[in-house]
Parts: sequence; C-alpha cells; structure tokens
Amino acid sequence: MARIVHYINQFFAGVGGEDSAGAGPALVDGAAGPGRRLAELLAPEHQVVATVWCGDDVAAGRVTDVVELARSVRPDLVVAGPAFTSGRYGLACARVAAAVRQTGVPVLACMHEDNPGLDEAGPAPVVTSGEVARRMGPSLDRLANAVRKLLAGEPLTTEDGRIGRLARQTVTADASAARRAVDLALARLGGDAAATEIPLPRFDRVTPAPPLADTSTAMVALVTEGGLVPDDNPDNLESARATRWLRYPLEGRAALAPGEYRSIHGGFSTAWANEDPHRILPLDAGRELEAEGAVGRLFGEYFVTSGNGTSIANARRFGIEWAADLRRSGARAAILTAT
Amino acid sequence: MALTRLVHHVRQVGLGSQTSLADGVLTVSVDQARLLLADPALAEVRLSWVSPGQSARIVKILDAVEPRTKGPGGAGIFPGFVSPARPAGSGKTHVLRGSAVVTAGFLPRAQEGLVDLSGPAAALSPLGATHNLVVEFVPAPGAGWEAVDAALRRGSLRLAARLAETALEVEPDEVEELPSASPSVRHGALPRVGVVTNLQTQGLFKDVFVYGRSFGSALPTLLDPGELDDGTVVSGQFGHPALKNPTFMHQNHPVVAELRRRHGQDLDFAGVVIAPEPVDQAAKELISALAARLCAAAGFDAAVVTKEGGGNADADIALKMDALADLGIEAVGLYAEMAGADGTGPPVVVAPERATAMVSTGNYDHRLALPEMDRAYGGEELTLLRAPATAAVEVPTAVVYCALSPLGWGHLTARPA
Repeated sequence: MARIVHYINQFFAGVGGEDSAGAGPALVDGAAGPGRRLAELLAPEHQVVATVWCGDDVAAGRVTDVVELARSVRPDLVVAGPAFTSGRYGLACARVAAAVRQTGVPVLACMHEDNPGLDEAGPAPVVTSGEVARRMGPSLDRLANAVRKLLAGEPLTTEDGRIGRLARQTVTADASAARRAVDLALARLGGDAAATEIPLPRFDRVTPAPPLADTSTAMVALVTEGGLVPDDNPDNLESARATRWLRYPLEGRAALAPGEYRSIHGGFSTAWANEDPHRILPLDAGRELEAEGAVGRLFGEYFVTSGNGTSIANARRFGIEWAADLRRSGARAAILTAT
Repeated sequence: MALTRLVHHVRQVGLGSQTSLADGVLTVSVDQARLLLADPALAEVRLSWVSPGQSARIVKILDAVEPRTKGPGGAGIFPGFVSPARPAGSGKTHVLRGSAVVTAGFLPRAQEGLVDLSGPAAALSPLGATHNLVVEFVPAPGAGWEAVDAALRRGSLRLAARLAETALEVEPDEVEELPSASPSVRHGALPRVGVVTNLQTQGLFKDVFVYGRSFGSALPTLLDPGELDDGTVVSGQFGHPALKNPTFMHQNHPVVAELRRRHGQDLDFAGVVIAPEPVDQAAKELISALAARLCAAAGFDAAVVTKEGGGNADADIALKMDALADLGIEAVGLYAEMAGADGTGPPVVVAPERATAMVSTGNYDHRLALPEMDRAYGGEELTLLRAPATAAVEVPTAVVYCALSPLGWGHLTARPA
C-alpha cells in the first residue's frame, strides 16, 4: 500500500475563498475536499494519509514549506491538484511538483493544458484535468488511473492524459549544425516533409479581458517590461534573460525625472528612454487622466522586468504573479508598456 | 569568378621587434600594431597573445577577425574599410588560419561575451582554438563611444590585413580552389541549395557593414561566396554573444563551407543572399519577401536560412522561411533554442508557420560551469555576475562567444531527454 499526500488550495480544503487566500500552508490528517473522492478511487490498494493545503496568494512563494510538510509524513507519492485552469493554484501545483521531484519523492500534478502554471512543473509529470471545477469527477477518475499506473512503475503517456513539456537536453552532435542544416534541406527536397530537429511549439492565444464599464472609479496600474528602474538599479535587475521582476513606488510622485530613472533593458537603444522615462512608463499621462477624473486613481507602485531573451516560462510566471498581485490590491486594469 | 585561398597555418605566436611569419610562427611588433590602431578616439591600446590550452579567459569580447590579405596594403581585402569598395571575391587571398585579431572591452549596448582558452567552454567557441591577438583599449578623454567603436573596427581590420601580409612571400601550407556559386547555371539534375544570411541591423553597436556601409537600410543582396572570404561583411554587432556572427564567422561562413564541400556531389551551390534584420514588422515582411524573390531568381530549390540575435531575429528568420515556402523553395532555419535552464520551455520565440524544418544549435539557457582561470583579458570583471573576470562561474550558454552560432559553426543541439 502506497502512502499518498495530497496538495490542494485553501478553497478546495474548505478553509475559505479569497478571504483566506493568504493563509497556510498547513497539514491535516487524511483526505480532504476532492481528496476524499480520490481516496475512494484508490482504495484499498493506496491510502491518502494526509492533505497539505495553502492559500492561493502565498502558495507559489511557500513551496519549500509545503514540500517539508508533505515529506514529514513520509509519502510514497505526492499528488497536487486538480487545478483546472486556475492560474495561482496551477502555478502552486506545478511548483510543488517540481520541488518534490527534486527531493526524489515521486510526484504527480493535475491541471488543464491551458493552465498558465503548467510549464513550471518542468520535467515533473502532469496529467490533464477538465477546464473548470465542474469537471471534477472525470478529472479525478483520470488522476486516479494515472496514480495507479505511476505507482506500478509504468511511464505515463499522452494516452494517460500526460501533458507538459518533456525537457530538451543540450547534447553534442557528431556533425556541425551547418552540415545538419544542409542534410535537412536535402531530406526535405527528397520528400521527407516532416523532418525537423525542433517540433513546432504551441503558443498561448491570450483573450484580452473585456473593457471596463466605468474607468472613472477604477484603480489602474502601470506595468512594463522596459527595464525602467531607479537610476542606480538598486536591485540589479537583469538587462537580458530576466529571472525576476521588481516593484517601485509611484505614490506621491507626479513625474519620472530623467536622471532619476533609467532603462537597463539590453535589447534596444535606451537613449530616448533615458531622455524621458515616460516613454517607457507613462506616469505623466496617467497623472493627467487621474486629475481629469478619467481614471479613478493610479496604483501606488509600478511593476517592472526586462523583456529581452526572457524564457517564456519566466515571462508567463511574471504575468501570473502580476495579475494576482494587482487583483489583490484592487486594481481593475493595467497598462502594460512593451518595447 | 573563382577564388583561391592560400592557407598558412599559424602554429605558434609571439611579440617581437618585427612583424613576421616563419615556419608557422607569427611574430607581431607591438609598435607597428599600435601605429595601425592609432586613432584620436583611443588613448591607449594593449596587445596580448592568448593561445589555446592556456588558463585564460577573454571577457567583453567585441569583434574577431581572421588575418587575411590579397596583397600589399590589402589589395582588395575588407573592401570599404582597408581597401576601396570594389567588387571582391576573386583572385588570391592569403589566410592565417589558426589566428584571430580580437577586440575586447566595454562598449555601450555590448552584451558581455566570454571565451575560455581551456576547460569545458573552450570547445564551444571558434576562438577557443585560435591564437588570439587581443586588443584592449582605453578611450581618449571626451571621445564619443561611436568614434571609439569605429576606431576599433578600422584598426583591427588594418591590423588583420597587415598580419596576413607576412605571408605574401611564404609558401602556403594549403591551396584551396573554391567554386563560385553560379546563379544562372544549373549543373545537371542536382538540387540547387543556397544560403540566406540575416545580418542584425538595429542601429549603433548593433550594426553590420557590407562594403563599408551600414546594412541597416539596405535591401537583400545576392553575393558571391568569395565576397564573404574577402571580408565584404564586417560585424559591428555586439548583442547576444552566443548568437552573434563576428567578422571571423562571416569570413569562414560554415554553411557556405558545407555547400562548397558538397557542390557537384549531392547539390549545386546556388548562392548567398544577405538580408538586414530591420526592427519594425512591415519592414521585416518586405525584406523577407524580397529575399525570397532573389532566391527564386537565382534558381534556389532550397535555402538554409540563418539569423543573428534572439527574439526579434526569430521573427525575421520565421518570416523568411515562410516567404521562401510561399515561392516553392524549401527552407531550413538554424535556430538556437530558448527553452529555459531545465529545457522545458517552448524552444523558439517565433516559429514559422508554413516552412517547418528547423535545426537546433543548442539551448541558450543551458547552464555551464566554468573553472577559475589564471588570467583574464578584456576587463577585470564579469559585470554580468559582478564577479572577478578569472572566477569560477556558472553561466548560461548564451554568454559564450559563438557557442550557439546561428551560422551553424557549432555541434551543440537539443533533443528530448
């Protein structure tokens, strides 16, 4: 009999909704929420010995604690989700899966293929769930089947609902890339229409949110990937391949003076940005709109990263974190300036 | 039109009172070299040989140039810089193989690149296997960076031509007769394969020069491969160290070398098209369509398409591949992957839609552990990591000079684990 620890969020643990999104993590004995059905499906061969839950707003940053709690009861497998298409919950499940995998404990996450957190699972296995919580039943059926297969030591395939990316490993080829390119050209000319070394990636299509009905009462945030930081770049934001984003105050500030702010972005000539930082972050226009009453007020901070050679996984994570942060702060809209 | 390369192997290097080549030993007079590099924008230059196997690192690498000349004073080499801008690519060209003139130091917008001359990163860069005459510099007080950049480019090209002049009276180690690509002649039934090379042209410090002119506002151009040998394409592009194509790589264009090698065997070398990488979408689309038309006019059945840089450059290469496919020409793109440190991210930023043959030159984000080195050139610090330039460091492959060469020099690739 395998001992399973189940990771879920505060909502599914029955702790509460958005009001409890900052709570946890905590461990409770046995199964909870959807874990009860999962336990039924897996019984009697396997047992859900404990449930670890954490609030959506804090989970992505408390992964180490979550993993420690889960490991405290010596599980044979950690299961996370199903997270459906919920961004924060999916991100937490993915990160927990990645971190548990690193400790050597088997792990399995479950979420929909469109969940923006999916990539963060890295090489940890993930099986698909339905899109929304209404699909809990069939999602748990699939998850339980995958758990049984995994515990039997069999690999999970797309037929089991496996999703996510298999890691691509850097290796040294016998032939130079130039030679392989000419070989590939001749193979294509020879009729091999599928030959390639890189399969086409699948990109998200983001549907923009509907416009606000009334902007005059809305708090609006300014966010940018333009690398605009206080002049001495106090937190060392990277000019390329950013792994982090930063926040700086705008409260009480009417304008961004040249010399006080500069762009450290490595992907374009920053001369014009530094001549007038509003070209990257339009605080001047924002303040005017605020004074006119066209927008309720501007959010008291701006978020910034450098969008230059940033991996898509990191960029997606920044987006999830920004959206959650802004939603918590009450912002109703964000203006994202891109370079 | 045909070109003969007279190849001299440089086996040993040194500094001395005279600049000379004898029995594979290249000696450089620092005083003579300084004269060639002298410019009002440069207060001081320092010259050092850095050779394979040494416990040495070159940081903040700008351009690298292979010493070549066609005769006294250059006689047509590096047209537009060293020689008058006249059509190049024929006659005889002396090559000092195994050596390079390398400029290194701070320039604005230059992204920091490095080469190790020993350890695991040495094999990832062409400069890990060459004797490198490193030119370090101190800008003159008040000199504009643009003038410093131009002075380094002119000076290093003059120096490279001058070094090769030592070979004019020396018997070459190898004589290479190079076929010319022939846009109008079809050799039997062999498929006609050419190359389309995008040059990153995004303004100051991210520009490439052709016959001495900025290529930024140019339209696609058909070149004879010999023109690349003679230094018609000169790099002034200092972004993305692993993904840039220094002058050295254009002189030794790996896809051109491969097409020459197979010319008349399993393919017919159809030609070289160079194209700029403009920054706005409409221009990218126009340039791509025009490049494809040139390939069609030159009778390409297939083209290997190469890029320079990341992100933006992926859009250029994808548009070109699709434009070629639209004209019935098979396109193969050389891509570096940007799949994150663990290799699980989507590998390319912008993928083609209709032409889907891609070759991988490795993962940009793959981490490398580099050992401590005894000496460093080009600067005291790896600014990127705020570490001493000689330190043991962990870096993404993206910072190793030419490690993901979009011209296909390297052997790295990525595969599902």
